[in-house]
Amino acid sequence: MAKDTLLSVEDLHLSVSHMPEARILRGVSFDVTRGKTLAIVGESGCGKSVTSLAVMGLLPEGLTKTAGHIRFDGTDLPVTDNEAMRKIRGDRIGMVFQEPMAALNPVYTIGNQVAEVILEHENISRAEARERVIALMREVGLPDPDHIVDEYPHRLSGGQRQRVVIAMALACNPDLLIADEPTTALDVTVQAQIMRLLKGAQAELGVAIVLITHNLGLVAQVADRVAVMYAGRKVEEAETRRLFSAPLHPYTRGLLAATPRPGRRQEGELPLSEIPGMVPSITEDLRGCRFAPRCPLASDICHRVIPEPRMIGATSVACHNTTETEAPA
Amino acid sequence: MTARRHRSTFRYIGKRLIHAAFTILGIAVINFLLLQLAPGDAAEALAGEAGTADAEYMESLRRQFGLDRSLIEQLGAFLLRIVTLDFGWSFRHGMSNWDLIMDRLPATLLLMGASILLALIGGIVMGVIAARNVGRLPDRLISVGALLLYATPPFWIGLMMIVLFSVKLGWVPTGGMYDVIGGKTGFAHVLDVMWHLALPVLTQAFFYLAIYTRLVRAGMLEVLNLEYIRVARAKGISENRIAYRHALRNAVLPLLTVVGANIGTFLGGAVLTESIFSWPGIGRLMFDAMMQRDLNLLLSILVLSSIFVVIANLLVDLLYAVINPTVELK
Ligand SMILES: Nc1ncnc2c1ncn2[C@@H]1O[C@H](COP(=O)(O)OP(=O)(O)OP(=O)(O)O)[C@@H](O)[C@H]1O
Ligand SMILES: [Mg+2]
Repeated sequence: MAKDTLLSVEDLHLSVSHMPEARILRGVSFDVTRGKTLAIVGESGCGKSVTSLAVMGLLPEGLTKTAGHIRFDGTDLPVTDNEAMRKIRGDRIGMVFQEPMAALNPVYTIGNQVAEVILEHENISRAEARERVIALMREVGLPDPDHIVDEYPHRLSGGQRQRVVIAMALACNPDLLIADEPTTALDVTVQAQIMRLLKGAQAELGVAIVLITHNLGLVAQVADRVAVMYAGRKVEEAETRRLFSAPLHPYTRGLLAATPRPGRRQEGELPLSEIPGMVPSITEDLRGCRFAPRCPLASDICHRVIPEPRMIGATSVACHNTTETEAPA
Repeated sequence: MTARRHRSTFRYIGKRLIHAAFTILGIAVINFLLLQLAPGDAAEALAGEAGTADAEYMESLRRQFGLDRSLIEQLGAFLLRIVTLDFGWSFRHGMSNWDLIMDRLPATLLLMGASILLALIGGIVMGVIAARNVGRLPDRLISVGALLLYATPPFWIGLMMIVLFSVKLGWVPTGGMYDVIGGKTGFAHVLDVMWHLALPVLTQAFFYLAIYTRLVRAGMLEVLNLEYIRVARAKGISENRIAYRHALRNAVLPLLTVVGANIGTFLGGAVLTESIFSWPGIGRLMFDAMMQRDLNLLLSILVLSSIFVVIANLLVDLLYAVINPTVELK
């Protein structure tokens, strides 16, 4: 593990407890570097959210880890809840969820809810906490912080509520922020503001970010590295520019080809396409690559042997068909 | 902003009170007409007890009570008295109806307050425990227990408790509100009343306990799955605090409405409970008035209790707005 690695997920396997053949994650590994942004992309149901919940120690009841490690700043984290994990959550790892409209408790003021996380983890007075909260509200760009602390959530817009959630996640100066589709529920102009806010916080506080999203345009703009997941496995990971300019895995290529891009089509560029076929279900046990049934390049070996991730150039890719020659210098 | 909120609250209360006045008048008219349909009147009941059906005697009684006038006249007189808060005289008890009712009201309020409070505390604790252990043994036990209590008629529970705790074990008195002979005062008197209160309160409380437990359990299960609970967990808040601070307050909101309704129908159940335990409350008074055809007293009780229910419901709605800030009183 490199010195500046903050979070390291190694070979994580998750299954449904009462149905061990339902394997949700089948060996996922990635590292997050201090102060950097790792984006995780992949189609719906591939396991992005459960991965982030495992890191938080908030795996839903009914799911269990069957193998693997999660190491955070040198210590092993459990994937299920315990007292030690509770001390880390909210203090050293913050999380922002997808639904800002439902993320705040309707019966408490927002100031109260932000102060709660500070009072939980730090030994300070209520008055001091309140001062901190007001300063935080200013930092996350909420209007009129002195008044808005005493407002109830239903008076705020979705974008404002997401700012409150971000304020809560950042309140204790965490080392890591996990954002699971933080802008999906917001309209486009607000999305850009929220992302600017997150990047600004990163520049200022040096917090590392794991950004889970379906928005590849967003990824291209804000992520340092990108991990691509497919059906419970990571199929490719590379630095952002590299992944976009030279995608190696056929699934990544399909994903990029399915994303609209501004401007005219270049010579030889294919029209917007979709990937034919269906994602295998979590119970389906394929002997080979899980993408093989949909892969245009699939050969005999792909259906027989599970491809392990390997380095091609500076890209990690799990595919039998990708060769050194395809990688750019 | 708060000043505006206060003003709108006052306007809301004013509107509700005007509304309430009409509701109460409506209730009074309906009750009046319904009781006219019941066979027999006070004159007949009195004459029956006196062992004479002498027509002249009954005639004089009827004149005395104003029962000889036309229905419309009687109704008009009745409404006029209500508006002036004059509830008339009970010939059976030889007391003004108002005094009679006020004399009995504390006993019923005590029974109601104690049983609903007990049921609320018990229901919240049981409901939360069941929801946090959903599907496991504590939940099963609590759910089955609540179902049994819900399905068993309260008067039967009351009678069984008398048999067990009063007759067999002799722990508590079989009825009444205090020791008539003892003449206790001060703290001893309070203890004495609590002693007598135990069984009637339990009888009433068990039924509400069953309802509240089920409601809190269902509410908690729903709320505990909401996004803001996940957010609270992500903040590192302990499970106890999440259950009691974040989930419970949202889960009890529907409960409050039900408590309001229970206050409204309390008297119905109290008639039985107070009769079983000879508890000197309004329910008992109402039952006696019915048997003795003291229709004036009966009407007075019905009207006063409707006023009480309307006020109680207004208080519940105000309280609802206090614990649920998303409700704006309009
Ligand atoms: N509590 C659970 N019990 C059983 N299966 C679950 C549970 N939670 C998630 N799953 C399954 O795990 C798989 C991964 O779910 P996850 O929510 O991580 O997907 P995702 O990649 O975040 O998708 P999306 O992009 O739609 O958010 C899905 O097949 C889902 O059905
Ligand atoms: Mg998800």
